[in-house]
Amino acid sequence: MVGSPLAPLLGMMQLTDSALPTGAFSHSLGFETYMHREELEDEASFSAWIRMFIEQQLTFTDALAIRLVYAAASFEDVAALDELVTAQALPQQIREGGITMGKRLLSLATASYPSAWVEAYAAGVAEGRLSSHQAVVWGVIARNLEVPVEEAVASHLYATVISLTQNAVRAIPLGQNTGQRVIRAAQDWVGRAVEESATLTEEDLGAIAPGLEIAQMQHERQRARLFMS
Amino acid sequence: MATEHETQKWAGVLKLGVTDRGGRSVATSQYHEGALRVLRPHYLDGSSQVTYTAVNPGGAYFGADRYLLDIAVDDGASLLLTTQSATKVYKTPQGPASQQMRVELGPGAVFDYLPDQLIVYREGAYRQATTVTMDPTASLTMSEIITPGWAPDGAPFKYRQLRMRTEIRVATEQGSKLLAVDQLRLNPDELGDVQGVGLLEGFSHTGQLLLADARIDDALYARLAELVDESATRSGITRAGLETLGVRCVVVRSLAHSTEEIAALHHSIVNLTRRLWRGQPDLDLRKH
Repeated sequence: MVGSPLAPLLGMMQLTDSALPTGAFSHSLGFETYMHREELEDEASFSAWIRMFIEQQLTFTDALAIRLVYAAASFEDVAALDELVTAQALPQQIREGGITMGKRLLSLATASYPSAWVEAYAAGVAEGRLSSHQAVVWGVIARNLEVPVEEAVASHLYATVISLTQNAVRAIPLGQNTGQRVIRAAQDWVGRAVEESATLTEEDLGAIAPGLEIAQMQHERQRARLFMS
Repeated sequence: MATEHETQKWAGVLKLGVTDRGGRSVATSQYHEGALRVLRPHYLDGSSQVTYTAVNPGGAYFGADRYLLDIAVDDGASLLLTTQSATKVYKTPQGPASQQMRVELGPGAVFDYLPDQLIVYREGAYRQATTVTMDPTASLTMSEIITPGWAPDGAPFKYRQLRMRTEIRVATEQGSKLLAVDQLRLNPDELGDVQGVGLLEGFSHTGQLLLADARIDDALYARLAELVDESATRSGITRAGLETLGVRCVVVRSLAHSTEEIAALHHSIVNLTRRLWRGQPDLDLRKH
């Protein structure tokens, strides 16, 4: 497989597929709070939510984290990034969701995409020194696969949008065709997030607007919940 | 860090070092320059805690103004730092006004940072960066309330940019380890609708309260969550960060229609923790 010109594309397709068993189907990353408030009921309101989510969390945390992995001079930089990504995720369910999905992806990578950094990352997690986060783990794998950075960022963001939209289709519910229209419309927003994240620096990591973060915190104590976040 | 300080021009600098002297906290070092100084200290209750009030004689932060606060609370000492009035940020055509604060807390040290609200006016931009390094046995409380100044046409939110970043680290034998990073970002200028979903959601004011202390257990967290539920604000509470050397961090973030609603929630929480941890009576800053 290694050395094939198709290796980066096929690896990316496997690891950003919405069927990848990381548990993404069980996270709303905050939108369930808005459902509970009866503010997410149709295509327009969910589109506005997912666009905001891309502009906020996906730009300032996930996209930037992947870029920082690509910019890392050594694994020590990745280890410091892992600590920062985890420490800035204030809502407990968001932090734990990122860790859980990161660990699943890391274990898949250990089996199928081994590299020195994947092994160092897995060892750090096993020893409790590192937490793991899905975007950081994906950055490590994609960098080793020699996926171009823009594609690594775009594919992770788009995969997250597809998962969240599929979750919304089930939960709100929205029609399947409606979901596909939202996913298609999100391509522009993902494109802008890829560009915007290129202008950011490490100190921007995790910058977020208050409403979304409050909703993510409130989800912890919501009574009836379909999702883990 | 030191070289950076020496080579940069500050609009105001305040340095304060507080030490315990026989059960009473006193400033053993104090330095100010430019548009920052402190009022004579007070002892507001029967406790050892000293209260300092920061004053900005210029009345506001202007464009490209840079302020530095350097706070050290030594072993067993207790400091409450507040402000004389709201911090105002006016039009900043020369670039964002900014405040950098560095805090060092020794073993058993207490630092309560309870400033008045920040008001950002039309075309104002403000950036704040705070770094706290605390001993695992120290106790930290930090509050912020952010208010939009009103534009002459009566419309709020004409400020350009607001950024607040607070990094809390726990001192270790080797150096320090990250506990939590709080980041707030609001750019009403570039956002289509700052009132929209995820942003201010129909509210005008926002605020946050950060607590870091090894004594935050599940029972206390449940009591804090009740106070959040009782509040008139839309607030979330969470256990934040990576538990480091036993230090736990809790963050409360709020949206509201007034400063007073957020201040009331922050006071109810602070009154509870100060009473529980140090037997202090309810906070009375005697400003009004």
